[in-house]
Amino acid sequence: MITTVVGSYPKVAEQAYGTTLIGTITKWQRKELTDEQLEQVCREITGAVIQEQEAAGLELLTDGQIRWEDLVTPLAKRIEGFEINGLSRWFNNNTYYRRPILHKAPVRRGPILVKEYQAAARSARKPIKAVLPGPYTFAVVSEDRHYKKLRPLVMKLADILNAEARALAAAGAPVVQFDEPAIGFGKTDIKLAVEALGVAASGVKAKTAAYTYFAPLNGALEPLMRAKVDVLGVDVVSDPKTLGALKRVKITKELAVGCLDARNTKLESVGELHAIFKAVKARVPLDRVYVNPNCGLEFLPHAQALAKVKRLVEAVRSFERRA
Amino acid sequence: MLLTTSVGSLPKPDYLVQARSQARKGAIDASALRALEEQATREWIKIQEEIGVDVIVDGEQYRGDMVAYFAEHLAGFKESELVRSYGNRYYRKPIIVSTIRRPKPITVGWWKFAQGLTDRPVKGMLTGPYTIMDWSFNEYYPSRRAATLAIAKVVREEVEDLQRAGAQYIQVDEPAISTRPEEMDLAIEALGLVTKGIKAKTLTHICYGDFKTIGPKLHRLPVDQIDLEFANRNMELLDFFRGKRFPKEIGLGVVDVHSHRIESKEEVIRNIQRALSVFRPEQIYVDPDCGLKTRSPKEAVDKLRVVVEAAREVREGLNGRASSAKRQARLRARALISKR
Repeated sequence: MITTVVGSYPKVAEQAYGTTLIGTITKWQRKELTDEQLEQVCREITGAVIQEQEAAGLELLTDGQIRWEDLVTPLAKRIEGFEINGLSRWFNNNTYYRRPILHKAPVRRGPILVKEYQAAARSARKPIKAVLPGPYTFAVVSEDRHYKKLRPLVMKLADILNAEARALAAAGAPVVQFDEPAIGFGKTDIKLAVEALGVAASGVKAKTAAYTYFAPLNGALEPLMRAKVDVLGVDVVSDPKTLGALKRVKITKELAVGCLDARNTKLESVGELHAIFKAVKARVPLDRVYVNPNCGLEFLPHAQALAKVKRLVEAVRSFERRA
Repeated sequence: MLLTTSVGSLPKPDYLVQARSQARKGAIDASALRALEEQATREWIKIQEEIGVDVIVDGEQYRGDMVAYFAEHLAGFKESELVRSYGNRYYRKPIIVSTIRRPKPITVGWWKFAQGLTDRPVKGMLTGPYTIMDWSFNEYYPSRRAATLAIAKVVREEVEDLQRAGAQYIQVDEPAISTRPEEMDLAIEALGLVTKGIKAKTLTHICYGDFKTIGPKLHRLPVDQIDLEFANRNMELLDFFRGKRFPKEIGLGVVDVHSHRIESKEEVIRNIQRALSVFRPEQIYVDPDCGLKTRSPKEAVDKLRVVVEAAREVREGLNGRASSAKRQARLRARALISKR
């Protein structure tokens, strides 16, 4: 089993890398600091977050998305055609994202995340995966004033994300991940979502992953197995029924199991995690399994986020020793 | 009819913002802070009276976050390290770590203080059990349901104490209720435990909602009045109520609390008149969309003033129309009699 995280990591850590980012961003917003000064602080915190993941014993890391306001803003603000608008609730969480509004056909003028990715990868000893919003989620959390129809927007975003994914793979990302929390959330056009993932992942010279989280996947699990990606991420803690549902579908992909609740501070026991590993092992060979928290770690305060990462590594090690 | 009120929070004056930050650093003591909180409360009550608001709030000058405030005063919660809310905003999210209890009344002292300053009714202001649960981490109760029902018990105690103290209006806010439509029944059940048999008028404020999914259950919320944000959606939410006989009073948000722009009186009058095509005037309380605490004190005053002036004008129009209709009926009756 490969231990990993989903994407975001706490941007501040009172007991570790501090809270300087908050004041730095405030000053940058007031134009008291330059872009370069903000970038310098972001780079330092990214470095600290990467080091912390390595020290905790994770195998596959992310850059912690320290510069990201939310899953879509970093992309939307650098794709022509979008304007960043007011706050909306981020699925069923008490956190908010800025809703992008599409005014005209979107155009990607060049690489968006590649530089950030390269800088993070250079500072890491372990492999770092690249994370992007999935085309379906990107589309449904945006306000579409151009196409006014879901399908053309999703497919256009799939093209754009594909170009970015190819660039990230060319920059050395061993895994390019598409986050699709919108799948299973309310009424989902799962056929469209699956088709778009195939377009987004096509020709990407890296392993590709689609991560789902928050939502119950009732009915979506089977079609998702047909998505043309290598890895499927499934959150088995937000809805306890999902683990059972995994037993009823033919698992044709590598599976990334979201087995710690990154939305609650309560620390899982090693025993609870072993029970999940055991259920997964009965369905998928362990060398085709990733284990991670159910979603990004930013919903947690730093101390609890780190405790969960350490617990995950501890549980995997003791499980593999025993096996 | 068309009584005016506000949703709850009002901005803190600069001197209080500074004092709170000094108190956190230990530079001033609790009684010094308390004196300034009382001063700010006095000022806000006077302002609301001067503007002519009918149902007054204390402005929550002594509260920070609407969930954290209650968590700080209940046993069973501890405070977390910082978590991000959005953008560059962080807060300390409460963690439930043991049985939730209310060692003593939380808001009753402040309510008495505020009511002692005015003859107009002051609302009792509480946060509802579902919202306190949803906005906290839970390390103690076995489920979200168990945590919600435990919180309902202590909120109920607070409601009873407010009623005993004489509160005519008790507002129990549930802004989180629209987060998970599948838990709407739990939220309704918990709010029912809070309001059952309470004689005071009970209200709840809900915001940031997906009304397509929770709308059909709104009328089942066990309160007398539901307060909603209409203005920031360009009053489109009215369409949801059109053609139905909504059985409760409605708190009608007619100015947007998230924008710096002060709406014109004409605009607010139009908003109220649009609502009158859907609701009866006796059914409507007019207010801003949500708490005004994110606005500057001046913006908050200006927004409150335009709400009151617009409501007054619409009210006068309705009264005028009603009395002229009565006069005409009288004249017609007299004419009939004199014909005989």
